[in-house]
Amino acid sequence: MQARFVIYALLAIAAILLPLVAPPVMNNLILRVGSLMILAISWNLAANAGLISLGHSAFWGLGSYAALLVANRLGWPFFASLIPAMLIGAISAAAIAVITGRLRGIFFAIAMLALSEGLRVIAVMTPEFTGGGAGVFIDQALRPSTQTVAMVTAACAVGCAIIAYWISLTPFHYACRAMRNNENAAEMLGINPLRFRIAVLSLSGAMASLAGGVNIWYSGFLDPAIGFDLHVTILAQIAPILGGIHTLAGPIIGAFATIGLSEVTRVMVGEQGFSLLVYGVILVFSILCMPKGIYGTWLTWSQRKRQTTPTAPSATKAATP
Amino acid sequence: MSLLLQCLVDAILLGGLYSLMAIGLSLGFGVTRIINFAHGEMIMFGAYGAYFASILLGVDPLLSLPVVAVLVAAASALLFKGLIEKVLDAPHINQILLLFGIGLVLQNVAAILWTGDARSVSTPYALTAFEFDTLLVPHGRVIAFVTAAILIVALFCWLHFSELGRATRAVAENGQAATLMGINVSRMYMISFGINAALGSATGAISAFLLTVTPFMGFHMLVKAFAIVVLGGLGSVPGTILGAFALAFAETWVSYYVPDGSGWAEGVSFVVLLCVLIIRPKGILGQAVAVH
Repeated sequence: MQARFVIYALLAIAAILLPLVAPPVMNNLILRVGSLMILAISWNLAANAGLISLGHSAFWGLGSYAALLVANRLGWPFFASLIPAMLIGAISAAAIAVITGRLRGIFFAIAMLALSEGLRVIAVMTPEFTGGGAGVFIDQALRPSTQTVAMVTAACAVGCAIIAYWISLTPFHYACRAMRNNENAAEMLGINPLRFRIAVLSLSGAMASLAGGVNIWYSGFLDPAIGFDLHVTILAQIAPILGGIHTLAGPIIGAFATIGLSEVTRVMVGEQGFSLLVYGVILVFSILCMPKGIYGTWLTWSQRKRQTTPTAPSATKAATP
Repeated sequence: MSLLLQCLVDAILLGGLYSLMAIGLSLGFGVTRIINFAHGEMIMFGAYGAYFASILLGVDPLLSLPVVAVLVAAASALLFKGLIEKVLDAPHINQILLLFGIGLVLQNVAAILWTGDARSVSTPYALTAFEFDTLLVPHGRVIAFVTAAILIVALFCWLHFSELGRATRAVAENGQAATLMGINVSRMYMISFGINAALGSATGAISAFLLTVTPFMGFHMLVKAFAIVVLGGLGSVPGTILGAFALAFAETWVSYYVPDGSGWAEGVSFVVLLCVLIIRPKGILGQAVAVH
C-alpha cells in the first residue's frame, strides 16, 4: 500500500517535470492529455452524483473567456488569470445546480446542452466584450512559454486527481453514490441532495473551467466556436466512459486512451469528421458492450482470476494425499 | 402596427414548423420515457433526403416527403430494435449517452458522406409571396405551415382513432397495465420510435426549402425542440404545440424588435428553457417532473 503511493507520487512528479526534458513537440501532447484528464475527472465527479453533463464545453468556454478577458483588459498574468476562470466555472455550475435542483437528471442533461449553445450565442452577439465571431488574440506580451503552460496543465491534472481521490475517502463520496442510485432514499437517510449537487457541480465546473483557462494561454486565440466547441463536450464524456465511469482511475486511463485513439485516427485518416465519428462509435460501443469501461472491465476480470487461482492449488493438494 | 402584424403572421407560420419539429420528441418521451437526443439527426436526414430527391430526380420536397419519412421510420425502427431497446431498463445515464452517441455517429456519417457544405432546395414557391398592402406572406412558409398542420392532425387522428394509436397512448399512460391488456409493449415502442423519427424527417423535408441543409443543422434544432418540449411539458402533445407557438412568437419578436435581433433569436430557446426550469419546470401542460 505504502509502496504504491510512493510510485504514484513519483509518477505525478515525473509528469509535472516532463515538459522540462521532453522535446517541444511533446508539450502539445502533454497539454492535451492533461486537459482531457482534468475534464474527464470533472465530468466523472458530476456523473458520480447522477448528473450527466452534455455541455461541458460551457464551463470550458467560460474559463477560456474569463482568463482571456482578465489578461487583455486588466493585464493579469497567467497564474492570476486562472482564479477568475475557476470562479466563473464554479458559480455558473452552482447556478445550474440550483435551477435543475429538484428535477429529474434528464433536465440537467438538457439544461447543460442548452447552456453551451446559449453561451455561444451570447459570445457571438457581444463583440465589444468578447471579440464576437471574429475571435480575439490573448495579449502576446503576457504569454508564458509553452513549457510552463504544459507543466501547469500536468500539475493541475495531478491536483484534480488528488482532489478526486480525497473526495473518494470522505462521506461526500458515499452521499453522491446514494444520490445516484436513489435520490429519494438518500434524502430519507438525511442527505440533502440540493446541497450536495451544488457542491459537487461547483467543483466539477471549476475544474473544467480551469482546463479551459489554461488552454487559452497555450492556443492564444479564442472565438465562440472554439470556446464552446461540441468537441470538448464529447471528449469530456468519452474519456471517463471509455476508461471506466464512477471510478478513480477510469478518467485518467480514459484520457490517455482517447488521445491515443484520436492520434491514430488523425494519422490514418486525417479528417475532422472522422475522429468525431470514431468518438460516437466508441460511445455507443462502450455503453452497449463495455459499460464499466477499460478499468472496470479489467477489475472484474482480475477479480475473477483472483477468485479462481487460490482454489486451483488447494484442489491439487487435496488430490495428492 | 403593420410591423406587429407581420411579426404575428411570421410567428404563426414558424410555429407550425416548430410544432412538427418537437412533437416527435415529446411523444417519444411520453411512450418510451427516453429522450431521443438523436432527434435532430432524424430531421437532418429528412432534409438531405428531400435535397437529393430534388437534385438527382427533380422531385419536389413535398412529393418526396412521404417516401423519405417512410425510409427514415424504417431505419429508425431497426436502430431501436438493434441498439436502443437494450438500454430501456438501464440507468438513465446509459440511455442519455447512448442516444447522444448515436446522434454523433449519424451527424458525422452525414458530414463525411456529404461534406459540411450548406445546401438548399430551390422550389418554384420558395421565393414568391402573397402581398397584402405592406404585409408579406411567403408561399414557402404557408406551404410548410399547411403541411405541418396536416401531419399533426393526421397524428392526432392516428393516436385517437386507430387501434395502434390507442395502444400507443395506453403504453404512454402505463406500460405495465398495457402489457396486461394484451398489448405488445416492445412492438409499440418500436412503432412509436419509427413514427417519431418520421415526424422529424418530415420536418427536415419541409426545412429543405426554408432553411439551409447541413450535417449539423440537427443540433441547433434539437436545442430548440428541447426548449419547446420543456415549455409545453414533457410528454404532452397539446403542450408541445403551445410551446412551439410560444417559442416561435418569442423568437420572431426578438428578431423584429431587438437590435441585432436575428442573431439574438438563436439564443431565445436557451433563455426560454432556463426560465421554464426556474419558474414552472413541469411546463404549461406537463405532468411529473419530480426526481425518480
